[in-house]
Amino acid sequence: MIPNLKPETREKVQAGAPPKGTWFGRIVVGLMVVFTLLPIVWLAYSSFIPKEALFKPDVTIPVGFTFQNYLELPFKELIRPLLLSLLLSSIVAGLQVLIALPAAFAIRAGTNVLPLYLFLLSVPAELLLVPLYGLLKDLNLLNNPLALVLPFLASPFTVFLLYGGVVKLPWAYVEAAKLDGATNLQILSKVIAPLLKPEMTAASVLAFAAHWNLVLYPKIVLNDKNWATVQVALTEMLQKDPNNWGALGAAAMLTSLPILVLYALFERRVTRVIEGGLK
Amino acid sequence: MISNSPKSKEARFRLAPAWWGVIPSLLALTLFIAYPLIQVFQISVQKYSIVYEGFAGLDNYARMLADPNVGRSLLLTLIFGLCTLPLFVGLATLCAIELEGTRLERVVKAILFLPSLWTIGASAIGWYTLYEPDYGMLATLTGGFLRLPWHDKGWAGIALIVLFTIWQNVGYGTLIVSAGLKSIPTEVFEAARVDGATEIQLRRLIVLPLLRPSLVFLAVVGSLYAIQSYTAVLLLTQGGPFGSTRVVGYLIYETAFGTAPNLGYGAALSVLILALAFTFSAFQARALKSDL
Repeated sequence: MIPNLKPETREKVQAGAPPKGTWFGRIVVGLMVVFTLLPIVWLAYSSFIPKEALFKPDVTIPVGFTFQNYLELPFKELIRPLLLSLLLSSIVAGLQVLIALPAAFAIRAGTNVLPLYLFLLSVPAELLLVPLYGLLKDLNLLNNPLALVLPFLASPFTVFLLYGGVVKLPWAYVEAAKLDGATNLQILSKVIAPLLKPEMTAASVLAFAAHWNLVLYPKIVLNDKNWATVQVALTEMLQKDPNNWGALGAAAMLTSLPILVLYALFERRVTRVIEGGLK
Repeated sequence: MISNSPKSKEARFRLAPAWWGVIPSLLALTLFIAYPLIQVFQISVQKYSIVYEGFAGLDNYARMLADPNVGRSLLLTLIFGLCTLPLFVGLATLCAIELEGTRLERVVKAILFLPSLWTIGASAIGWYTLYEPDYGMLATLTGGFLRLPWHDKGWAGIALIVLFTIWQNVGYGTLIVSAGLKSIPTEVFEAARVDGATEIQLRRLIVLPLLRPSLVFLAVVGSLYAIQSYTAVLLLTQGGPFGSTRVVGYLIYETAFGTAPNLGYGAALSVLILALAFTFSAFQARALKSDL
């Protein structure tokens, strides 16, 4: 009870509020949260189940707790792909934002190619798998890690996201910098980039996750065990031994760690940019 | 000259200062999206299994018309879309409206969005060991009561992929609706309450109509999930049981890169789906235009 809040003030705040929730809605949201967290919580739990427990008739009774599953994760089949993916996805995320930023600026400054980007954005990339494979073959890039970098250098989505940020900046800053004799490159690096940090962060996180979560594409263009990415490694582990819950859970948790860390650090920026970019 | 309005209606192509900024991006996009988009037509008229074997004319297209798998796969994708879309839009809208202005809004939205970024191979492991019908955790725990028999029932296979798609994307949808909801001016609710509207009426007669642009946008995004669902299919059901989850994206993958690779035929299938997707999005663009 807040005593100094006058009844009429409280009423006024309420009058403009969105409609109150219903008990039905609350139950549905509650169920959605459970549904969303269940697989993740289960993975975390299963990663600590000792191997012996899986052969007991009822695995539901907590039978122990062990770090063994994590310690036994194979280097060649899992850790190496994990490190490779970390490296490649980081490079792609960084380059994508670096290439998209000047493009977004140029479009805002008046080079009217936005419709072209919107068109390219609407092409479902999965339908270009066959010709892309042919192209990479002609370029001799099959089974070469560059096949996982070059086609992702530019992303219409990233350009669009950054453009959404540039549009919101007061253009007077750019005009002022111009009057002071700044070159376009200086404006880009000293005015636009610092102001666009939230969008650039969100774009990098989303670009990283999108590249990180490719499954089919690396399977096709890097058909070589030495260049397995983290998703290919996980898929293979699951198909080889779907009953080894402890090892699978540990592998899943370890490979989710980079995403968890990124999300813990930048969740606010990512969700804000997605919400704000559509107004 | 620097244009002050980013939405200048001038149709003619124009170079403005800093135009060079688009060059690296456009070069990469031309090589890796625009060029393949043209080449897919070229490959579709070639006899091309693993290596190029010559011109095929319209053979690949003729084969497509005679292939019962194609029609089945298209129908399946349509069914998948019709199951996913209402669930996706409905749940996202309900969650957004329900969470708006509550204390838990931020944390719940963050939780719901998490699966869309979560390492997808790890998600697949979680889903597989949890929902596997014979020895999975849920079936074991409930003594076979909560059990989705997706190893041998077609509908269950589709249901699994639909649920996985919802699980992955409902958080994104919630964010979109939430953004639309926040842009409704508070005066609207005030005025309606003064006029004696009940909370239910507020939702039905004020919130939902004003959310229309967000909902149309969600419908556009959501219908793309039908084309993109092949990753979930690859991870969980591999097209089974008995081809009942072989959505078009997966069919192309199987045809072009499966056990009997045929790039030419795969390209012809890609052309068909591209044509359907573009026709569909042209209709949607019209719907969007009248709404935004």
